[in-house]
Amino acid sequence: MKAKTKTKRVFIPGCSLSSYNPELVEKTIKYLKNKLPGTGAILKCCGKPTKALGQYDEFKERYAGLQKEIDALGADEIIVACQSCYLTMSASSPEQNVRSLWALMPEIGMPEGTVGKAKDSDITFGVHDSCSTRDRDDIHEGIRWIIEQLGYNTEEPPHTKGDTRCCGFGGMVVPANPDLAQQIMEKRTDEFETDYLVTYCAACRASMYKGGKKAVHILDLIFGDVWTSESDFPDLEGSVASWVNRYKTKKKIQEVLS
Amino acid sequence: MQLTEKVLNEMNEVIDDCLADEPPYCQARCPLDIDVQGYITLIRDGKYKEAIRLIREKTIFPGVLGRVCAHPCEEECKRGELEEALSIKNLKRFAADMADDPADWDLSRKAETGKKVAVIGAGPSGAVAAYHLQKEGHQVSIYEKLPEVGGMLRFGIPAYRLPHDIIDYEYSILDKLGVETHLNTEVGKDIEFAQLKEDFDAVYVAAGAHKGIMIPIDGADLDGVLIGADFLRDAALGNEVEMGKKIVVIGGGNVAMDVARTAWRLGAEEINVACLESGNQIPAHSWEIEDAEEEGIIMNPGWGPKEIMGEDKVEGISFKKCEQVFDNEGNFNPAYCEETIRELEADTVIFAIGQRAEDSFVEAEDVELNETDEITLQSETENVFVGGDCKGTPLLAVEAMSHGRKAAISIDRYLKDEDLFENRENEGAYESKLEKEIDPEEPVRRRVDMRMIDVEERKNNFDEVELGFNIAEAKGEALRCLECECKECIKDCLMLEKYCDSPKALFQEVKDVGIDPLVYYSCNMCSQCTLVCPKEFELKDRFMDLRKLAVKENNGESPIKGHKAIKWHQRLGFSKFFTTSQPASDKEEDSK
Ligand SMILES: Cc1cc2nc3c(=O)[nH]c(=O)nc-3n(C[C@H](O)[C@H](O)[C@H](O)COP(=O)(O)OP(=O)(O)OC[C@H]3O[C@@H](n4cnc5c(N)ncnc54)[C@H](O)[C@@H]3O)c2cc1C
Ligand code: SF4
Ligand code: SF4
Ligand code: SF4
Repeated sequence: MKAKTKTKRVFIPGCSLSSYNPELVEKTIKYLKNKLPGTGAILKCCGKPTKALGQYDEFKERYAGLQKEIDALGADEIIVACQSCYLTMSASSPEQNVRSLWALMPEIGMPEGTVGKAKDSDITFGVHDSCSTRDRDDIHEGIRWIIEQLGYNTEEPPHTKGDTRCCGFGGMVVPANPDLAQQIMEKRTDEFETDYLVTYCAACRASMYKGGKKAVHILDLIFGDVWTSESDFPDLEGSVASWVNRYKTKKKIQEVLS
Repeated sequence: MQLTEKVLNEMNEVIDDCLADEPPYCQARCPLDIDVQGYITLIRDGKYKEAIRLIREKTIFPGVLGRVCAHPCEEECKRGELEEALSIKNLKRFAADMADDPADWDLSRKAETGKKVAVIGAGPSGAVAAYHLQKEGHQVSIYEKLPEVGGMLRFGIPAYRLPHDIIDYEYSILDKLGVETHLNTEVGKDIEFAQLKEDFDAVYVAAGAHKGIMIPIDGADLDGVLIGADFLRDAALGNEVEMGKKIVVIGGGNVAMDVARTAWRLGAEEINVACLESGNQIPAHSWEIEDAEEEGIIMNPGWGPKEIMGEDKVEGISFKKCEQVFDNEGNFNPAYCEETIRELEADTVIFAIGQRAEDSFVEAEDVELNETDEITLQSETENVFVGGDCKGTPLLAVEAMSHGRKAAISIDRYLKDEDLFENRENEGAYESKLEKEIDPEEPVRRRVDMRMIDVEERKNNFDEVELGFNIAEAKGEALRCLECECKECIKDCLMLEKYCDSPKALFQEVKDVGIDPLVYYSCNMCSQCTLVCPKEFELKDRFMDLRKLAVKENNGESPIKGHKAIKWHQRLGFSKFFTTSQPASDKEEDSK
């Protein structure tokens, strides 16, 4: 039975996270629902890839489609888990307040049972910041707060936070110039001593993996089992698997918010 | 690709203001624009031939400058902010010592123009002008009053600092190029200036400043009072110098140091140098003073000459305390305390307080030596140009050479009937626009000192004092160079490194011929470049501009093959099958 709660805000997980891991999206929505009643969700691309290619007219059309959905739900706040979405939506949805999940978590608290869970892990995670939100200190601080709450040790590379380096994925370079992108990925992973990296963007995670590291998404740390040197780390999801994941994500969202 | 005005304007900003081709501090300060960083890194890499070739692109005097250049570049060297400037001058000498070979000299000349140019004075300024003009295909004749070439390089600077064989060796390029040099030919005496003006298409006056200045104090006409410039010239010519054992040199500049050190070599037993200035106002370079003091010369700063005492011959000199050299406006306006007097016993007093140009040979002409144009060095008489020391301000040798080049450019244009003023902003020294910051991790590296012959061995001869660098010393010194340049963006971006020499050059190429779309589709849009760019250029926006234009010209699609798939991803990402929109629900949660 569908409950009649007003939709105050909407969580938009974004394409890359949905393609990466439906369970993480599911758990995030449950968490938000619990902490912030009145949270809906939308799974739809924001059209950023077209913008990145320079197709501004097409982008406008695409984004209008998303905006229509947001307005239809009546949400005045958008919560995002992707930095690219964060920038795109901040710029394109002036009527909504756009918040990053990573800056929000310190305000609303960690999911129950997660604080201190990893204090015995033997892993040190290198933190890779997304370059698109290099000037958002609140996001950098939120991410570090989350990892500290979980109890993992961290390593900061020479270029970090505001001075972070691109993972190699930005600007749609991978399909255009895969060899160069590969070099950029390796240049970035070379900055870390540790073999284990944590990102907060699924595309960055894939890049760090291609750069030769064991890499997880921060939601893997929050909602997954405790990671140790014994764990099986995720590899790359193929194109078909990605679309299967997206479909699963859609189903999970519908389930949780039914 | 058709660039819109807006896109073009923003791109032009990068083309105009990008610092990629801005020379380092040292080179910008060099009046001859020598590629200092270039030759230093070549020396570091052991490429001595290449180093000397690079130096010779800008000067025919590497050995001369490598010994006596007053190295204004070193004052601007970025490394100076850390511990000490690079030893730029000494490294130049090293390159010359190691690898200069007349067989490698570029003796090519442009086709004969049939034009003739006269140069008055075989000092460094005249020599450089002659060299460039001869290379341009004109026929140059130098007229020199003295029996040998070099001007003040030979007749001012003593041989223990600049051996005469080095001067002759480096001047020999003029002969090889076919410059005619007439020694022992004084203009105004052996040949008239009016005649030169008549016989030649253009004249460059580079007669230097050789008339020593005297102060008309009591006793200045006594036997034993000498003039520094004459004293040095006589010493250089090997003439007998009438000098006693107790010498007082008046003056605090580099010339005074050369006079004192020359007197010491000629057998003087006690040498005092007295000057008006004290502390860091003393005009001589600190290293000149140090070298002089090492040879036992006594400095007496802050004293002005009052009277030279003696019957017919000098017996002593008295001084009054100098309390101010320059007034508040910065003008030379000495003030003395007439009560505080000091006397020194002396049999010889040598004035070394400055030299003026001897300009009697142009007196009848429409030429005012010190009133020629600053940018072109042209005088009121169209075909007469004036530069070097005779223009009125005492210069460094390297500045006199820079005048020579400037005059040559002007004369060449004049002979070809071209505009003399166009495009001359960056001739000579200027300020570099670089905004380099020293890496905080840069280790301290001490400047390598030049080895010198022992003080005892310097007495009674004019052997060269400085011994030059050996390979290890040169390498060690060259390693200190910070290689100042901008290109910060390129150091931080693989894409830029792969596709361009600099953003400036890249966007110029976009304008001129266009570039492969792959270049602007290889930008990660990460802003790393903006972060490190002193001009904060948003290169990603420039690349995005190009993407937008490319899409416009390609029916709304990216021109890149690999981007075809994205179109399909986008369609799927918006299709009903893969999208959902769920309002909030307060159904109880089973798990938290
Ligand atoms: C003692 C001394 C030490 C110096 N030390 C240094 C130093 O360490 N580093 C540095 O950078 N600079 C130094 N300088 C300055 C430098 O030597 C001069 O700035 C430079 O030589 C000037 O070059 P120039 O060609 O203009 O004139 P000059 O070198 O003076 O040459 C002019 C030539 O013109 C000739 N001439 C003059 N009148 C006539 C005429 N009527 N007819 C024909 N020929 C004529 C002269 O004989 C002379 O050969 C020193 C100068 C002196 C005096
Ligand atoms: S550090 Fe090197 S490049 Fe920089 S100013 Fe000094 S000599 Fe020139
Ligand atoms: S950082 Fe790059 S773009 Fe900026 S001024 Fe320097 S060379 Fe030019
Ligand atoms: S924004 Fe583009 S050009 Fe600038 S550093 Fe990133 S990838 Fe390189």
